[in-house]
Amino acid sequence: MTRVFSNLALAIGAVFAFAAQAADQQVIKRGEYLARAADCMACHTAEGGAPYAGGLPIHSPFGTIYGTNITPDKQHGIGNYSDDEFFAALTEGKRKDGANLYPAMPYTSYHLIKREDADAIHAYLQSIAPINRAAPTTDLSFPFNVRTGLMGWNLLYGKSVQVQPAAGNSEAWQRGQYMVEVLGHCGECHTPRNLIGALEQDKRLSGGVLNGYLAPSLLAKDLAERGWTQPDLATFLKHGMSAQGSMFNEMYPVVHHSTQHLEDGDLSAMATYLLGDQPPAARVVQAVAHETMTASSQRGRQQYLNVCAGCHGADGEGKPHIAVAMKGNTILRQADSRNLVKVVLDGIREQQFTGFERMQPMPGFAGKLDDQQLTDMVNYLREAWGGLPGDLSTEQLAQLKVD
Amino acid sequence: MADRKLQLTLNGQPVVTEVVPDDLAMLDYLHEYQNLTGSRLGCGQGICHACVVIVDNPDGTCEEVRTCITGAHYFEGKKVRTIEGHAQLDDAGNPVALSPIQQKFVERFAFQCSYCAPGFVNAATVLVENAQRKPLKKSELEGAIEASLGHHVCRCTGYVRYYEATRDVLGDLGLVKEG
Repeated sequence: MTRVFSNLALAIGAVFAFAAQAADQQVIKRGEYLARAADCMACHTAEGGAPYAGGLPIHSPFGTIYGTNITPDKQHGIGNYSDDEFFAALTEGKRKDGANLYPAMPYTSYHLIKREDADAIHAYLQSIAPINRAAPTTDLSFPFNVRTGLMGWNLLYGKSVQVQPAAGNSEAWQRGQYMVEVLGHCGECHTPRNLIGALEQDKRLSGGVLNGYLAPSLLAKDLAERGWTQPDLATFLKHGMSAQGSMFNEMYPVVHHSTQHLEDGDLSAMATYLLGDQPPAARVVQAVAHETMTASSQRGRQQYLNVCAGCHGADGEGKPHIAVAMKGNTILRQADSRNLVKVVLDGIREQQFTGFERMQPMPGFAGKLDDQQLTDMVNYLREAWGGLPGDLSTEQLAQLKVD
Repeated sequence: MADRKLQLTLNGQPVVTEVVPDDLAMLDYLHEYQNLTGSRLGCGQGICHACVVIVDNPDGTCEEVRTCITGAHYFEGKKVRTIEGHAQLDDAGNPVALSPIQQKFVERFAFQCSYCAPGFVNAATVLVENAQRKPLKKSELEGAIEASLGHHVCRCTGYVRYYEATRDVLGDLGLVKEG
């Protein structure tokens, strides 16, 4: 009889142990999803490097900051961090030794992360392979290399203010707010920064310039002006492409590391948050007769036919799996021509998207066309498919080239 | 769509064509208006580089330009060389001597079906001529060949022989310096 009881006790113990392990696995799995949503990988993985082992250079006006090793390695990673210490790093920008992290770590957005979500991310990171490798040392100029100087910065700017891009209060909108503002930390790039690198919170999500390119405004009225609808935004996040064009520059890795892995409900919630519970109607661009265009745009059409139409089509229709359409493309619809000019000058590397979708490399035209030709071409693109005036001057173009 | 006049220099000869559609690809202009059919249409989307021609720049340098994705009017006023412009011809227009690159490609059996050969000849010629203006260091040689030919596609996989032939020509012409 005693043996029966002891066997029974063992069996019950095993069931509990198994249940606990299963619960741990569930937490780890949820942590993996949340780490995707928070896009930890983008900065904490070097190009071609081991996942989360750090080393990606992040260039700032103050110097180069390197993403750190956040694998559970005890020497170079976060293997010795407790849940509390991890939470402090995530939400307060505090390292285990008490030093301040540079705000390239978006603790200014993560500070509103739910404790259980932070713990799940920590559990996931502790479960991955430890990589015994030091990330390169961050190299900032004086006085930015003195980490204690960040105490004042943190007092002023450490907490983000919630300025909403659009009105709403539905369940989807609230979930979207958490996904966009906290986990997704979209505002870290899509918000202008002041001279000492802090987000201008009263202009939150209204667009910021990053390494010469514009992370465009995500305010509902601006998104609608550029032709975005909620389903298109969700598609764009899921696949890196939509009728409005494809992700490029700093946004390109985001679809690979983060948004393609998110559940449809969360992507839809993000779109709901950005465009609001009552989304404004997406503006439709009216076709413009060639004869009514500015002289610059009329000249620009020939430049377009010479060097763009081979892939983007004479009528801007694009070619599937080769080059995106110009008709309906959101980059042409930004009043600020910065990105259009930069892309024309720099080109875009070959891009791969979800499934077998890909776009061929686009050549850059810096040095191939003179400033007048470039200006004319940009004006044509703006006027033909952007719904914008063809009024860029060669002086403005020259300024954007060096900016 | 509209038509416009096109003037350019083609294989050393000034050419004027009064009526050229404004959206005509250069490759079609060469084939259909000039009967220069040696430039090849491969992918038609700027990847395989079988269609490249040489453009001689005013500063004395030259470069390859893809004609399947570039409009004919891009070449307005420019000096263009096609595969037909490399060999020496007699008065009847028959080839009497190949260019050094062409000759070495033949000797090295660099091409098989030859579809990609015009593009490779033009690209290797650009490399050789730019090296004549600024000789290459030995340490730069392999990188320079890769940068010039690496994006050209050969479905018969003749890459090694193209590379060897190009290396030979650069060496034979004394364009590779120690260093």
